[in-house]
Amino acid sequence: MEVLLGITGKDYCIIAASKAAMRGATILKASDDKTRSLNKNTLMAYSGEAGDTVNFAEYIQANIQLYSMRNASDLSPYEVSSFVRSELAKALRSRNPYNVNLLLGGFDSIKEKPELYWIDYLASSAKVPYAAHGYAQYYCLSLLDKHHHPDIDFEQGMKILRMCTDELKRRLPIDFKGVVVKVIDKDGVRELEYIDDKQILAP
Amino acid sequence: MARRYDSRTTIFSPEGRLYQVEYALEAISHAGTALGILATDGIVLAAERKVTSKLLEQDTSAEKLYILNDNMICAVAGWTADANILVNYARTQAQRYLLTYNTDIPCEQLVRRLCDLKQGYTQHGGLRPFGVSFIYAGWDNQRQFQLYQSNPSGNYGGWKATSVGANNASAQSLLKQDYNEECNLKQACELAVKVLSKTMDSTKLSAEKIEFATVGRTAKGTIYHHLWGADEIEALLKEHGLGKQPEAEDSRA
Amino acid sequence: MSSPFAINGGACVAMVGKDCVAIACDLRLGLQALTVSNDFPKIFPFGSSTYLGLTGLATDVATVSELFRFKVNMYRLREERDIGPQTFANLVSSSLYERRFGPWFVSPVVAGINEKTGKPFICGFDSIGCIDFAKDFIVSGTASDQLFGTCEGLWEPDLEPEDLFETISQALLNAVDRDALSGWGAHVYIIEKDKVTKRLLKGRQD
Repeated sequence: MEVLLGITGKDYCIIAASKAAMRGATILKASDDKTRSLNKNTLMAYSGEAGDTVNFAEYIQANIQLYSMRNASDLSPYEVSSFVRSELAKALRSRNPYNVNLLLGGFDSIKEKPELYWIDYLASSAKVPYAAHGYAQYYCLSLLDKHHHPDIDFEQGMKILRMCTDELKRRLPIDFKGVVVKVIDKDGVRELEYIDDKQILAP
Repeated sequence: MARRYDSRTTIFSPEGRLYQVEYALEAISHAGTALGILATDGIVLAAERKVTSKLLEQDTSAEKLYILNDNMICAVAGWTADANILVNYARTQAQRYLLTYNTDIPCEQLVRRLCDLKQGYTQHGGLRPFGVSFIYAGWDNQRQFQLYQSNPSGNYGGWKATSVGANNASAQSLLKQDYNEECNLKQACELAVKVLSKTMDSTKLSAEKIEFATVGRTAKGTIYHHLWGADEIEALLKEHGLGKQPEAEDSRA
Repeated sequence: MSSPFAINGGACVAMVGKDCVAIACDLRLGLQALTVSNDFPKIFPFGSSTYLGLTGLATDVATVSELFRFKVNMYRLREERDIGPQTFANLVSSSLYERRFGPWFVSPVVAGINEKTGKPFICGFDSIGCIDFAKDFIVSGTASDQLFGTCEGLWEPDLEPEDLFETISQALLNAVDRDALSGWGAHVYIIEKDKVTKRLLKGRQD
């Protein structure tokens, strides 16, 4: 019941990830951060098998940071997504594939455009305006289909995110303990305070 | 005495020199001149092709200018056989980068990868260093048009105008004299043929004796590289009054 | 779990006309019944008049197309010319057979015009590289059954480029409308001796 959400707008990309760390039916932690920032302008959110997720995310993070150090320049979100995909695809046909689903949010400083990549554990990758992983796909994509436009401003984006998290709270049978929300824009990655203590009940 | 430090590239001489590397540089200084000039809207590479015999087939592909990648070309001076190994290595590295990152490799990174290989041969690996210097011309979206030069030691640097091979000292001073930072590609081509005409041994330039290539931007804004055909070179020479006169050819025969 | 060829969905078709060929694909990327993206083209150019269509598992569509980009770029640099469709078909075949016992889950289609002879060429492959040469049309993907039907009904020999475009477009659009896993718009390429026209079809968005 892990939730990953991504929404791009006019000049930003919002990534939200559920805070519950679960093992079977047990919640081990209610303040988990399922994101890693890879360089100044890309953030990766991950879900999937417990050990694989953090291991893969940190492996990618290390390699992207190594690239920045070696070459004194950051990879663009598209280049990062290609690298992540190629690593995941390589692992897929090895003896120990990673079981991780990813959302990669970024801001391309040359094109001055936000970007969002949807990557699943099979290493299928697609550039999308909004995306979700897991059960969130079934609840949120239809909402986003209805309300999303490529040039929505930040407030509008947050409003849609609220609609999504409310819907998830309403319909998911297990509490996912709210979401961590991060924004990527021209100034880099920053975490937002996201108040969701309001109880939302199914009709 | 010097002999004791000659046989291997891995050993410094008492004066702190690597003779084999210096010999490689010496070998290059006998090769045909190659030069590169950076303009505001592109780069030109030009090279002297030493015509050794009339019997030699001339219509084969360029022997001193190579395409490395969609965004990069290079000129070589030195042992062509050694250059082929390095060019193939560069092409493979460029494609490998494209495979992982889905974008063309930034120019300096490709130059650095080649130079890392060249450096390796001054320390271990083979018996001798590669006997080639390169001039690279390329474009990437971080630093736009760029010109680099590298030599057998594995050192490289970025240049506005540079030359390698025979007479490179005089070519270099001519470039220093006449180079203008605000020049466009057309003016750079003009400078290139003028420098070549003064540094080459033969009295008259002709399309058989030189090779020309440019990197530039099309009207639509995409980057192109282009190895010139004989007719284009001939036209350029004619435009600047450097082509061979037909009567001169007759009198020699 | 369902076949890896049918997880992501997608359809591709190629047809021969008079001194021209056409190749078209849909744009859907899905996860079983859920659509993830409607901008996932499955046709890739390899030189001036050689095209490759790839349907099947999306990850392998991407990997295999990137792999062939590598191989064809190296070919072009070495040979100093573009690869022809026949040569490329043999490259595809041998590259796929390298993975005989752990194949890429793709069904490739090659379409192009031979630069020397000017003759149209199309062919298809199974996932381990067996070439299926055809004089009329090649279909692949989750809508291949439907495509066989529409192509069989609409295709005729010696179609001019504009008629070929109409035929391949109708064949593809009507086939994907009867397949839940493909559709959401299409890309159509009409390849003539020294002209390639690419058109985007909107198609049904449901």
